Amino acid sequence: MTEQHNGSIIPIEIGALLPETDALRSAGWRLVQVLCVGSADGAELSYSFGLDLEMRSLRVTVPAETPLPSVTAIYPGAFLYENEIRDLFGVRIERIAGDWEGKVYDVAMGKLFSKVSIKAISSEDPGAATGGAASMGGAL
Amino acid sequence: MSGQDKRVQDAAHAPREDFVKGPTVIPFGPQHPVLPEPLHFDLLLEDEKVLGAIPQIGYIHRGLELLVEKRDFADYVHVAERICGICSFMHGMGYCEAVESLLGLPIPDRARYLRTFWCELERVHSHLLWMGLAADALGFESLFMAAWRTRELVLDVAEETAGGRVIFGSAIVGGVSKDPSDETLARCIKALALAREEVKRLSMVMLQNITVRHRLEGVGVLSADAAYALGAVGPMLRASGRAYDARSLGYAAYGEIGFETVVETAGDCMARAIVRAREIEQSFAIMDKVVAAIPAGPVSVPAKGMPPKGESFARLEQPRGEVVYYVRSNGTRNLERFRVRTPTFANVPAMVEAMRGSSLADVPTIVLTIDPCISCTER
Repeated sequence: MTEQHNGSIIPIEIGALLPETDALRSAGWRLVQVLCVGSADGAELSYSFGLDLEMRSLRVTVPAETPLPSVTAIYPGAFLYENEIRDLFGVRIERIAGDWEGKVYDVAMGKLFSKVSIKAISSEDPGAATGGAASMGGAL
Repeated sequence: MSGQDKRVQDAAHAPREDFVKGPTVIPFGPQHPVLPEPLHFDLLLEDEKVLGAIPQIGYIHRGLELLVEKRDFADYVHVAERICGICSFMHGMGYCEAVESLLGLPIPDRARYLRTFWCELERVHSHLLWMGLAADALGFESLFMAAWRTRELVLDVAEETAGGRVIFGSAIVGGVSKDPSDETLARCIKALALAREEVKRLSMVMLQNITVRHRLEGVGVLSADAAYALGAVGPMLRASGRAYDARSLGYAAYGEIGFETVVETAGDCMARAIVRAREIEQSFAIMDKVVAAIPAGPVSVPAKGMPPKGESFARLEQPRGEVVYYVRSNGTRNLERFRVRTPTFANVPAMVEAMRGSSLADVPTIVLTIDPCISCTER
């Protein structure tokens, strides 16, 4: 049952994201979710697809400040995931069909879930990366 | 972006003086009589016809996922359970299933059956909550009160078996923390039989009422292809003719107990109401089977040591549809990442599609038949 839940996770390059996603769409897979995990040098996105009970995830590692193409041209329903990931993790997702321009979550601390190292933060944009919970110190 | 979507977005952000020239933009929510939780739409109208809608969430984001970095993995279940006050047990259980998968920790059979019982109990009280809210929105006040009165019987059973009416507090990593006796469960089944008869009557009243049918039939139609392409889940998907229910994965005791996926094909608000009414009846039947077959034995095993480095998914079927949990461990007692993809989050694009072409007066009905839970959505 665990394997059925986890499905297969396939690492791919950024350039392969759209062709692979398009191939899955053509084969009848539905978009289950887009998941983001922050890291010190960027983020890792997993696009999960379902066909009947099977699940398959395409995993893309995105270095900080590297643009990532939106999959909304293939799966229009992905716009909410992509807007959220851009707002909370600071991933530069480009050409989202249904772009909310950073207004999904109007929180005081921008990019709250980002783990990008403090060195990567631009002095001109103090909200660019907050270091996630680490920056909140003992407040939690 | 389609031409129409572009038009919606342009109109929503157009200067005020441009509004008089083209379609009208009406803000809907976040405070609205039919919305118990904050959700906002910019509705683009041509006369009374909805051309499109731009959804907006973000009013109650709590960042609960981030808390996983600061809490012991075994204690975090209390936070997970508080993601939502309706699907609370299933959120706690989903988190536990993902962590147990990570730990390679099989739970006792009795715990699996009890989890199944509480999942179905939660489905019944959630669908009755929906029935009441929908009746209230349609102006059917007596049905609203009757549905919620019946829901009280279900919540009483939750309190008697789990100790809580809203937060059950019974899911733990390694099983469950409460073990109602077989006698208590048998007594609860008798109490639920009364609720079951009442629900049958209420469902018949709701689904056969000519005014309700007039408000729901042919309204907010979502085709099977659109529902699937937009990633809809739960009653939203099944009412459009797609037979997907995550319980088919066989988690907890569903593999042994079995169930039949409820499907309707019309794809309108009425179909979504029928799916929920039929699911309530089925949930009562599942609880009967669980109590008849529940094995004796322990209800938990200790979760010892640290979770190993790794990651795991868990998928469950909540009342609003499939929910996906993800956990990632770095080998310490604090998990590195916890993520929940809730059913309402997945249903927002389909909800927008279902509104397209409807009349302004039908928007509240369409929103309600999705049964949105914004508390889940924003986590």
